[in-house]
Amino acid sequence: MPDLEKLHEAVIEGDWKAAAAATHAAIAAGVPPLTIVTDYLVRAMDEVGRRFECEEYFVPEMLLSARAMKASMEIVRPLLAASGAEPVGRVVIGTVKGDLHDIGKNLVASMLEGGGFEVIDLGADVAPERFIEAVTARHANLVALSALLTVTMGSMKTTIDALQAAGLREKVKIMVGGAPVTQQYADAIGADGFSDSAGNAVALARKLVAA
Amino acid sequence: MTGKERILAKLRGEPTDSLPLMPITMMFAADLAGVPYGDYARDHRVLADAQVAVAGRFGFDYVSAISDPAREASDLGATVEWFDNQPPAIVESRALLDDKGKLAGLRLPDLSAPGRMRDRVEAVRLLAERAGATHIVEGWVEGPCAMSADLRGLNTLMLDFFDDPPFVEALFDFTVRMEVEFARAQVEAGATLIGVGDAAASLVGPKIYTQHVLPWEQRLIAAIRAMGVPVRLHICGNTKRIVEGMGQTGADIIDLDYPTPLGHARHAMRETQVLLGNIDPVRDLRDGTPESVEAALGECYRQAGAAYICGAGCEVPRGTPHANVEAMARFARGRR
Repeated sequence: MPDLEKLHEAVIEGDWKAAAAATHAAIAAGVPPLTIVTDYLVRAMDEVGRRFECEEYFVPEMLLSARAMKASMEIVRPLLAASGAEPVGRVVIGTVKGDLHDIGKNLVASMLEGGGFEVIDLGADVAPERFIEAVTARHANLVALSALLTVTMGSMKTTIDALQAAGLREKVKIMVGGAPVTQQYADAIGADGFSDSAGNAVALARKLVAA
Repeated sequence: MTGKERILAKLRGEPTDSLPLMPITMMFAADLAGVPYGDYARDHRVLADAQVAVAGRFGFDYVSAISDPAREASDLGATVEWFDNQPPAIVESRALLDDKGKLAGLRLPDLSAPGRMRDRVEAVRLLAERAGATHIVEGWVEGPCAMSADLRGLNTLMLDFFDDPPFVEALFDFTVRMEVEFARAQVEAGATLIGVGDAAASLVGPKIYTQHVLPWEQRLIAAIRAMGVPVRLHICGNTKRIVEGMGQTGADIIDLDYPTPLGHARHAMRETQVLLGNIDPVRDLRDGTPESVEAALGECYRQAGAAYICGAGCEVPRGTPHANVEAMARFARGRR
């Protein structure tokens, strides 16, 4: 039996090579891919999120751990798909139209992926139509919108309105976040949830898809 | 006292007739002047008109040439996306230094040639002519971490700190050499203070900040101060864990964003370090009332103590009610 704690540790320490090697060893030893994700990657990213929340980790450390988690996920993902295992949820995420800031969105995307979600990351400066296309094509049940600028926050409402007009609003939950975004604003534009941090975003996403 | 005298006296630790008032205005200033922000960022004459107008309308003690972080990156050849009515933005997916090898071929921009850096120098010159007798004229440069992120890509730079520290050192060295020359051109054009914006530094923890960022900020700030002007260091975001280091940069003004309480900064710095800020620009200033603005500023002043300049945590947002900015001015003018 391979030492899977090494995988857990490699993700927390941000060592992507060690994470990939531990994942290969686990697969070769017959560990089910879903076990690798739920018992090790999710747990490791939960710990990374905890360290971020209590300011032991900062953005560089988070990105390093995310890279290690992704190195493992790259190996596991095709096997998961072949086994028919369902993710916790399917989330389409992007920074809204007119806004090119993506580091907060990237952190949330990584935390969601590490939390067992299938993440469809559309990048930054994403037009409402692209959210609609992705939700439709990938059967997503969650949409996550990010904005860093007060001037681009309005694109969150435009996107939500576009999802409504496309008849998709009832099929997805929508969460929003970013430095200028408040719970009050989230309520005003008809979002289902707001998070002020990457760590809390995972808990919120789990709650929204379970509702 | 004129605004200029008030700010300079505060920086010398001398008595002032009221608190200096230095909130950052960019889109707010453009909107007040009725000009699209794209024009404000492109044309120094538009910027200067709007800055003189906003300072006059609300009684600010300074005018500023700050507009967006993309001026240096533009002149170096980075891909920049322009918008009609918001700041231009650097396209990270096509970062200029996506390949680290390109750094060796990068040359410092020629500040005498037309370009976006030259446009800022001309903005400073105009501001100095029109308001320099009574107001501080603030030039602006990117800090080493922010500028390096602009060139390399923010996400990539964060990993470079672990993957390739010698490259980070070389990149910071290039950016600081460039910003020193950019600051020098602005001082020669009449800037009486230089602002250094190093937003990306708030994303790193104390270890990386102390090891990789602080020494370069110190180098940049020392070089600017040697030109005979004071320096304002502004780092957007949560700086609670690096604020002690910020107090060692040598900056005359430490300008903090709202997540870092001024009391926290005061505790980490000497009593005479001038602090600037830092009410929440969105929740307190844009969405608040004149009463809540004055109350929030009162708390900032209480925590900062005498070495304090009035301002918001970051840019006064577009759409802020004028009455709230007037409340900020009223607060400053009513206190010594």
